[in-house]
Amino acid sequence: MTTANDVLAALQSAFPGVIEEAKVGPERQLWATIKPDRIVDVCKYLRDNHSFDHYTGAVGVDKIDEGLFEVTEMLASHGAHQVVALLKVKTKRDGPSVKSLTGLFWNANWYEREIWEMLGINFEGHPELYPLLLPDELVGVWPWRKDFKGYPDYNTAERAIERLTAEGYTEYSIPPTEAEVKAGTVQKERPKYPTFREREEMEIKGESEMILHMGPQHAVVPGPFLLDILVDGERVKKAFLDVGYIHKGIEKILENRTYMQGIPITDRLCYMASLTNNEAYCGAVERLLGIEAPERAQYIRIILEELSRIQSHLLGTAEFLTLIASAVYSPFLYMIIDREDVLTCIESVTGARINHSFVRFGGVRNDLPDGFKDMTLDTLKMIREKTEEYKELFLSDSIYRKRMEGVGVLSPHDARRLGVSGPPLRASDTPYDMRREDPYLLYKDLDFDVITRKEGDSKARVEVRLDEIFESCYIIEQCLDQIPSGPIMAEGIPKKIKPEPGEAYYRVEDHRGEMGFFVVSDGSDKPVKVKARGPVYAYMQALPPLLEGVYIADVVAIAGSMDACTSEVDR
Amino acid sequence: MGISDVIPLPVAVDKELEKWTIWGRPLTDVWFTTTEKIHEIIEMGPIKNVLNWGRKNSLWFLMQPMGCCGVEMLVFGCPHYDCDRFGIFPRATPRQVDVMIISGYITRKYLPAIKNLWEEIPEPKWVMAIGECAISGGPFYDSYNIINDTSKFFPIDVFVPGCPPRPEKFIEGFRELQEKIKRREDKRGY
Repeated sequence: MTTANDVLAALQSAFPGVIEEAKVGPERQLWATIKPDRIVDVCKYLRDNHSFDHYTGAVGVDKIDEGLFEVTEMLASHGAHQVVALLKVKTKRDGPSVKSLTGLFWNANWYEREIWEMLGINFEGHPELYPLLLPDELVGVWPWRKDFKGYPDYNTAERAIERLTAEGYTEYSIPPTEAEVKAGTVQKERPKYPTFREREEMEIKGESEMILHMGPQHAVVPGPFLLDILVDGERVKKAFLDVGYIHKGIEKILENRTYMQGIPITDRLCYMASLTNNEAYCGAVERLLGIEAPERAQYIRIILEELSRIQSHLLGTAEFLTLIASAVYSPFLYMIIDREDVLTCIESVTGARINHSFVRFGGVRNDLPDGFKDMTLDTLKMIREKTEEYKELFLSDSIYRKRMEGVGVLSPHDARRLGVSGPPLRASDTPYDMRREDPYLLYKDLDFDVITRKEGDSKARVEVRLDEIFESCYIIEQCLDQIPSGPIMAEGIPKKIKPEPGEAYYRVEDHRGEMGFFVVSDGSDKPVKVKARGPVYAYMQALPPLLEGVYIADVVAIAGSMDACTSEVDR
Repeated sequence: MGISDVIPLPVAVDKELEKWTIWGRPLTDVWFTTTEKIHEIIEMGPIKNVLNWGRKNSLWFLMQPMGCCGVEMLVFGCPHYDCDRFGIFPRATPRQVDVMIISGYITRKYLPAIKNLWEEIPEPKWVMAIGECAISGGPFYDSYNIINDTSKFFPIDVFVPGCPPRPEKFIEGFRELQEKIKRREDKRGY
């Protein structure tokens, strides 16, 4: 079994003098600072020789005191071992530039684009350094830099200018004020790049081709995003995705809140998975503080997170069914009714329906109420019966099968290369589940199966979700049996949390895939940087290549089966 | 408008007709009226109450989830809360709806798109701001990309606070809108 020490020793012998400093953190994490000119070689070596084939993401940190930017590349493996390599590259603050990893890992594309538009770090060799989340007027402002002066911006609406276009639509633009121009919070000159519309129009080659817009508001999308497909007849030639319509700048906001105030913001990252988001954030901060939640609190967290997984999968499947055909509209309504019962169980503990803010650093907010066990067991029994019924209702339906089988097939190799995780990856015959792979909380003591399917098509992705509901029920039943009595908060946690300077990365299995939080502390009561590495961000990036060559009618079946959440993509 | 504008008549006949009256009003006024005139008559009379009674009992809303409130909006349209009993029904396209719900944060990038949606909705139409984000920016009030004051851009009739409001609160908001329509106190004055 490979450990972080093995990897570090191998790196030091293969690249003498390249690793400037290194340490092996808890939970098989390898932290290393690499010389900027050799980062691509080091990553290539790790990918080819130590099966670090899962590019998890990149984080850009603005170290304004040292006059540096730090880019941390996060690499992991799809099941070969559990080591996470966090490789840091430092670059000067004026004229920052690092080498791009897009040549090695296909999915590095979006992560690097995001760092470029937010921090202004240039990535040498990146094929398309265009803005991803920001509107055009904010590009060149670099809002995530620490010296960005446009934060907080209270008076945006008062400055909006209304004008009527030639087509008769009202358009709004928000011009910069003189003070902003003087302070440098708006761009002096927009970086030169073609806009989204220009880029997609460049791809039109023949007379028979046209672009079909789906969105930003469209019946199929779970939130506003723009999916443009270039069609030739009935076939999709190329798909273009524009996200960022609800970009809220959560990571910037988290930097300006204390650690405790950050918990409600992480709820709103993805409202279907607010408990796991809390868990990931609190877990990362717990590692900074060096504390661990008591056993009872960990069980409570598992119970609630698994209940939350059930409701998320029910709603995800339900939404998907409305998209593909109205013939299966009834299961949608039934599933929503069942979901209400699950929500009632969660609500009896947390007091909220979707945004819970329940997990605390070193524990949970409150204990389980009386009668929770009986109520939950009844609900789980009902959910099992109903889920069996749904599987019979539509998974065995011949029309549904014809519509879904062989549509949007993602081969195991492609799924790993595109960087998807969660149910879409497990549907492509890869048993990659954080609960089993990198067990957090007390999952290592619990018995459950990692559901996989061989087909990798849209039908398999839905099946995986439905089967995971059974596994979640089984996990909750075990927890309810095993849960000990005891405290629900670790002792000696101050009200005002000031972790030691350092970094922590903590990943959990979200309902949709791998969710990780990267928190950097400088010893004050506010984090320097919080990076949320979400699973849906990775799915969405993988969507355009998946849509190439399919029929227009199948676009909905494929995009829907991914169970996306725009709020988490945009953050 | 004179009769001779429509039917070619000798001038003498036209002059004669203009003298005729019906119920004390010039005949030409009653025969040849315009949509605006019908509107004026409806606006004044009690017939408007009948129209508004119909409108308030079939408020179809646009299914346009934007944030956390979008999930509650979805649930609001489903059997457990059963908005259908008030004549409220979710639709997926702006061409078929009466009410637009702003169910989340409006960003600089999304503002033009949502404005287009609003303009695509046929009259009569109403707009509701649901959730803290749509009212004041909510937890993201200090973001660099959020429009805090939605009411600058949309004639919002009902604000429903909450983060997110429960589906019961949605029902309360719609009942409030129905009352406003009934009392003719809505922003656009239907």
